[in-house]
Amino acid sequence: MPEISGAKAVWECLKRQGVRHAFGIPGGAAIPLYDALYDETEIQHVLMRHEQGAAHAADGYARASGKTGVCVTPSGPGATNLVTGILNAYMDSSPVIAISGQVSRSSIGTDAFQEADMLSIMLPITKHNFFVHSVEEIPKTLKLAFKIATTGRPGPVHIDIPKDVQQGTANLDLDRDPPYNKPIKLDPTPSEILTAVEMLVHAKQPVIYAGGGVIWSGASEELVALAETLMAPVVTSLMGKGAIPEDHPLCLGMLGMHGRMAANLAVSECDLLFAVGVRFSDRATGDVRHFAPRAKIIHVDIDPVEIGKNVRVNHSIVADARRTLRAILEALRERVRKDRTSEWIERIQRMKRNFAPRMDYDEVPIKPQRAIKEIMEVLGPDGIVVTEVGQCQMWAAHFYQVKKPRHFISSGGLGTMGFGFPAAIGAKVARPDHVVVDIAGDGSFLMNSQELATAVVNGINVIACIFNNRYLGMVKQWQDLFYGKRRSQVYLGESPDFVKLAEAYGALGLRATRPGEIAPALREAIESGRPAVIDILIAPDEHVLPMVPAGGRLDEPILT
Amino acid sequence: MRKHIFSILCQNVPGVMMRITRAFTRRQVNLDSITVGVEPSGLARIILLFSADDRTAELMRRVLLRLEPVESVEEIDPEMSIVREVALLRTVPLSGENHWKVVEQIEEAGGKIVEARDGAVIAEVSGTPEELERLISQLGPDVLAEVVRSGQIYCRRL
Repeated sequence: MPEISGAKAVWECLKRQGVRHAFGIPGGAAIPLYDALYDETEIQHVLMRHEQGAAHAADGYARASGKTGVCVTPSGPGATNLVTGILNAYMDSSPVIAISGQVSRSSIGTDAFQEADMLSIMLPITKHNFFVHSVEEIPKTLKLAFKIATTGRPGPVHIDIPKDVQQGTANLDLDRDPPYNKPIKLDPTPSEILTAVEMLVHAKQPVIYAGGGVIWSGASEELVALAETLMAPVVTSLMGKGAIPEDHPLCLGMLGMHGRMAANLAVSECDLLFAVGVRFSDRATGDVRHFAPRAKIIHVDIDPVEIGKNVRVNHSIVADARRTLRAILEALRERVRKDRTSEWIERIQRMKRNFAPRMDYDEVPIKPQRAIKEIMEVLGPDGIVVTEVGQCQMWAAHFYQVKKPRHFISSGGLGTMGFGFPAAIGAKVARPDHVVVDIAGDGSFLMNSQELATAVVNGINVIACIFNNRYLGMVKQWQDLFYGKRRSQVYLGESPDFVKLAEAYGALGLRATRPGEIAPALREAIESGRPAVIDILIAPDEHVLPMVPAGGRLDEPILT
Repeated sequence: MRKHIFSILCQNVPGVMMRITRAFTRRQVNLDSITVGVEPSGLARIILLFSADDRTAELMRRVLLRLEPVESVEEIDPEMSIVREVALLRTVPLSGENHWKVVEQIEEAGGKIVEARDGAVIAEVSGTPEELERLISQLGPDVLAEVVRSGQIYCRRL
């Protein structure tokens, strides 16, 4: 066993977990970590401009790749700046390892310079968190952290490492696996499957509701197979976008407040809702008393806490989504009568046709639907879309048809403005061969626009498409609809000039003012081989519609 | 709403109590009693009392089980278990007949005097929470200067 420093051991352990990229910023109590990184050749470290950006980048990296994202910060403010990003990863079940420096053990609790009680601060917003007491604990802690982040329902883990622990040395066995005994039920039981199959076979109007759990368990193929076997339409949560190709004839798109009409109506009419890898968020269900009112509900999830938390279910299976779908498919094989749901499917197809969203507007200023259409046409099935939060996000969620899992990345549970651009940087680092576009609002983009420097300096060629209406648009929409059009503190003014902002950072800045200008600008951005910002001037009074008011019924949306 | 009792077995590490209690705080559930003891295995046994509806209690059980240091959570049925609580009672200085009356009351309730000075006594009493309540209200605030209670512990019946 070699004698190595704690700091060196951290990087060695990360490498042994397959980590090749990390996002971070050095600082006082993390300098030993960064000193050890100086000689490191196998890990590419992306120097971010704000620690929140580092957390979002690690999160975006994880969501785009399915691997664990890693971010590193110093103590105190550097570590507290992680909070939003880490909670964001927690709410959306994304595996992120966050490592912070901490003041030396002898200074803990003395209100030392840049000391923050990160164990307490991170505790409620991580799947688990550690304070490392000694050099000897480092290998065990790192291994457990990865195990915890990736086992069962994924989530972030924070590790706080005092400076003197980073500097200390010890003879460490880096390859020993610590025992991890947390029991996780992955397999459904035969009786759980039998009950589900009976319910599915006897349903006349079934709907499948798929979420992020399908993507994390890699169950997309099985999901499509189940839909086709049952001839059941599929609706998704925001996190589930891409779990099934959205141009699939059985896919109705996203459910919920800004979901597709056909999806919301199908759930309101169905007699069986087969929910897999979802958590029945209030933004998806609306008023739970009127959610799927005619349906029996089957809920499949890896996390037992989710069962019955938000809606009452008739049958639950706590297990891995992929294993469950496989078992159900296996059991269904001889049970399903073909064309048994034809009447239902005809009705669904009629709904889908009747409520097909319109996107081909030619008005000036540009309608956001048109902008989404042009972006979608240029990106094709392989482009990765990351979003900010607000109207831009919901336009993307409603109109953009995602064809593959891990190709739509958005801040769902926490709704973090400023998530998109740094997350896009993370996604691009994870998938350098894919075009990565951040569908942004002007309000959200400014919340982490400093990461333009990160993109330019590191040659991470992401493209921000800013849906610029000079407003905090979603707040404006709520004020217009529910607060008598009293637009309080939502107008952002004519600053900045986003083209000049991009140019100041050394990125390509382009502007689209008319329909038909977005696609060429996006092509130019892709071909430029540089990070780019496309300032798309959109109609400032456009709302995201249809909209189910908060706590309203899915079948009673606001249409105009 | 009814009384729920959880017997939690968890790793005995710094922060574990905070992980458990904040899960309740987060959901606005008040804890009525917590006791902790370390088992021979080195794991900590936490007995925790709270009032909640059954649905919330079941959610809490699952939330606690999800915590990394928690190994098991058992809901205890008070009908099927032995409950005890220990209290230390300090009296004000008492004189003459009053002093002996108080000592007699304590001894009748199964308590014993562990220290006495200048007419004041410290008594140790154990029993069910109801038995302790009875003695405490019998003695009353004029007699008792301080009441220190251990919190309730439960053990499943054989």
